[in-house]
Amino acid sequence: MSKNFFEIRNGHFLASEKNKVNNVNLKIEKQGDIVTLLGPSGVGKTTILRTIAGLQKINSGEIYLKNKIISSENFHLEPEKRNIALSFQDNSLFPNYKVIDNINFGKKRSNGNGFEIKASHIIKLLHIEAILEKYPHQISAGEAQRVSLARSIMSKPDLLLLDEPFSNIDQSLKDEIQYSVKNLLKKISLTTILVTHDSFEAFSLADKCGVILNQELKQFDVPYSVHHEPNSLEVAKFLNRGVFVEVEVIETDCAVHSLKHSVLGEIRGKLVNNFPVGSKVKLLLQPEDLIHDDQSKLKLEVIDRKFRGTNFIYTLKTIHDEQIPVFVHSHHIHQHEKNEKFGIKTPIFIDHLVCF
Amino acid sequence: MTRYNFWFFISLVIALIVALPILTVFFSFFSETSNYFNVLKNTFLFEYINNSLIILISVLIITFFIGVTSAYFVSFYDFPFSNFFSWALILAFAIPGYIFAFSIIAFFENYGTAYTILTNLFGEYNYNPLIPKFDSLVGSIIAISFSLFPYVFVLTRSSFLYQSNNYIEVGQNLGLSEKETFYKIILPSARPAIIAGLALVAMECLSDFGTVSFFSVNTLTTGIYNSWLSFDDLNTANQISFILLIFILLLFSLEIYSRREAKYHQPTRGFKPINKIKLTGKKSLIPFTFCFLIFFVSFIFPVSQMIFWTFKFPKYFQDIDILKINLNTLYLVGLASLCLVAISLLINFGSRISKSKILNYLTNFSISGYAIPGVILAVAFITFFSNLSDLITNNFNVGSTKHLFIGSISGLILAYFVRFFSLSFNGIKSSYEKINNSIDESAYLLGYSKVKTFSKIHVPYLKNNIILIIVLISLEIIKELPITMILRPFNFETFATQAYVYASQDLLEAAALPSLFLISWATILILFSSKYILSPKN
Repeated sequence: MSKNFFEIRNGHFLASEKNKVNNVNLKIEKQGDIVTLLGPSGVGKTTILRTIAGLQKINSGEIYLKNKIISSENFHLEPEKRNIALSFQDNSLFPNYKVIDNINFGKKRSNGNGFEIKASHIIKLLHIEAILEKYPHQISAGEAQRVSLARSIMSKPDLLLLDEPFSNIDQSLKDEIQYSVKNLLKKISLTTILVTHDSFEAFSLADKCGVILNQELKQFDVPYSVHHEPNSLEVAKFLNRGVFVEVEVIETDCAVHSLKHSVLGEIRGKLVNNFPVGSKVKLLLQPEDLIHDDQSKLKLEVIDRKFRGTNFIYTLKTIHDEQIPVFVHSHHIHQHEKNEKFGIKTPIFIDHLVCF
Repeated sequence: MTRYNFWFFISLVIALIVALPILTVFFSFFSETSNYFNVLKNTFLFEYINNSLIILISVLIITFFIGVTSAYFVSFYDFPFSNFFSWALILAFAIPGYIFAFSIIAFFENYGTAYTILTNLFGEYNYNPLIPKFDSLVGSIIAISFSLFPYVFVLTRSSFLYQSNNYIEVGQNLGLSEKETFYKIILPSARPAIIAGLALVAMECLSDFGTVSFFSVNTLTTGIYNSWLSFDDLNTANQISFILLIFILLLFSLEIYSRREAKYHQPTRGFKPINKIKLTGKKSLIPFTFCFLIFFVSFIFPVSQMIFWTFKFPKYFQDIDILKINLNTLYLVGLASLCLVAISLLINFGSRISKSKILNYLTNFSISGYAIPGVILAVAFITFFSNLSDLITNNFNVGSTKHLFIGSISGLILAYFVRFFSLSFNGIKSSYEKINNSIDESAYLLGYSKVKTFSKIHVPYLKNNIILIIVLISLEIIKELPITMILRPFNFETFATQAYVYASQDLLEAAALPSLFLISWATILILFSSKYILSPKN
């Protein structure tokens, strides 16, 4: 028996030979938590959601909801009996019912975790007041997604599954809706699993975030840790936060650990993983780790410069042909052209030293 | 889910039932040959084939000319009443070939309607030698052509209509004249649709029984009927059926092939409707006259002939129990559509939830019924159930079970089922496939069982489609002659059989009243479904 609100134990999910996820262990301890699953397109995120919802059978392993088994190799609770809502990525509104009737479709259900919610509240929150009397074919893809979300919430499920719920919504509206949906879910304490390929969305919404890569759940942790302390090279590379440079471990005994790079010199900080002194490792260097300083003696050549609105990303080259990105605030007084020398403040200090 | 479940067996049974006539004909062909067939082979068979082919080729030429020309006029030109003609020309569907045949005879015969009109206009005179008389072969060709040309008209028109103006503009931009545009761009892209239309005409023409039998032309269909009725020789009937079936199945494959081709010619994006050319004054005279003549001959002429006679001989109002015939028709239509729609829905639902490939093949197989001529179907039906009955009688100690399906309502409904299953199954399927699978899944997740999803989501969505299917089935059954005639219970009449029975007894004036009722019902049903018939898909 599981003590958690929701749990997947040794889950093997299979949609096709290529599209599978193995050995998933995932727990949601308490009701009301929001979990996001992050991964590239086609990795099997949707398969996991469909299996949890009961639309597909699990290959092996068990899924528990509220201490009851809902899926295993030999047992399959029909989707209509699970009280799990899934908001599909594509439009799945009933074409012959108006938007408002679609939203109220699951309302009559008596089960659920007992939260009280008014349709009018959700409708206002999701900005769909104007289209209530329209039919699904008369509204846009983004509107359809919001209606589908409203319908899923209104059915008062124990568990809400969202498959890329904001993918078709305009950028200008997206942030606001993400914010208000998160607040609503928290307020009514509706446990949610959300699938996305957008890491910002995954981090900002989640209590816990899982990263699925190469048919495995690589990391399942709070968003801050996933971002700052990726547990594998693959996760770090997927999140695409920076580059890896070769360093040597110098000092691990003190509170501040120390590494040495052949060009950048000493790098201080706290090692996330333990390595013996003298080992050669790869260090993750993110653009915000290095600080620009014209006075510094450490100077590198600029080979590229990209304008990113609030900042520039300079790409610097070391004599060993390593390319290093550096953020510089775009209000910075002067700019550096290609082939110019660019100073970096020493010694370098990085909070989390992510090495593999 | 196992591969061989409940849905599989249901589909298998339906596929077998629908395949019955084909299988029966096939097996009969290779079973022993009775003497009559040898006599027939040496004498009449070639006449049958010859007549069937002459009628077929002439009808194809005439329907091609009438159908394509009228479709061209109403699609590309704006002339007085052009919008009216674009739907009025399909009203010819309401006049079965045999009723058109009655009208021709009634009008042109000695002392017929033409004679009466001339007498009223110019006074007493022996006009009979002046009025042209039709050879029975020519009469059949004209009657069949005018009752079938709408197939070509409808398909060609929708192909013209849904041809994007972009292509025409590009053609003009490249320097093609109006004539060249028509021959080099418009006609080639409408070709698959025209061929599909002609293939349908050909199938219906070869299947025609009423018209040729009324005119006493010996064709394959009348040959089948006569060897069954006059010579009581089912084997021979089935052997002729086999020959006819080969022709029909060839046409059937041609039709399917052309429809597939036609899909490639349908523009998807950037569609711009054609700018119709406005014609006024003298120029509009040609298209107007043409369309009016076709409309007049194909619809006004037979309808007014029937009205004229109905009121000229009012005594048949008393002789014919028209209320009973109405009820009979309603009974047949109601029962048949109920069976067809219910089973089509069931099979569609089954193949949707079980997602089996074998099921798909099976259901595809069961749609062949529509291609089989009514006469063949009815005779094969009788063959099958007589043999079955004999088999049962010989092996078990029970009496003849023939009457369960021959000369009974249940047999008639079963035969209609075989014939119209593809119409209803495919009609529902095409609409069913538009419901996205994730819609079903959403319903499950909102707590709806499969059955409840069916009743709350699918059926309401398919409602209009179901009504349309019922209308089309009704239209077909009301006009249907040979199946009803051969398989109906004794003294059970529909409009079609009543009209035909009187007409074959040379009581044409008595046939007018049931014919008029038949046309009225058919016209109402056509008007009801005209939007669908004229849409690009059909």
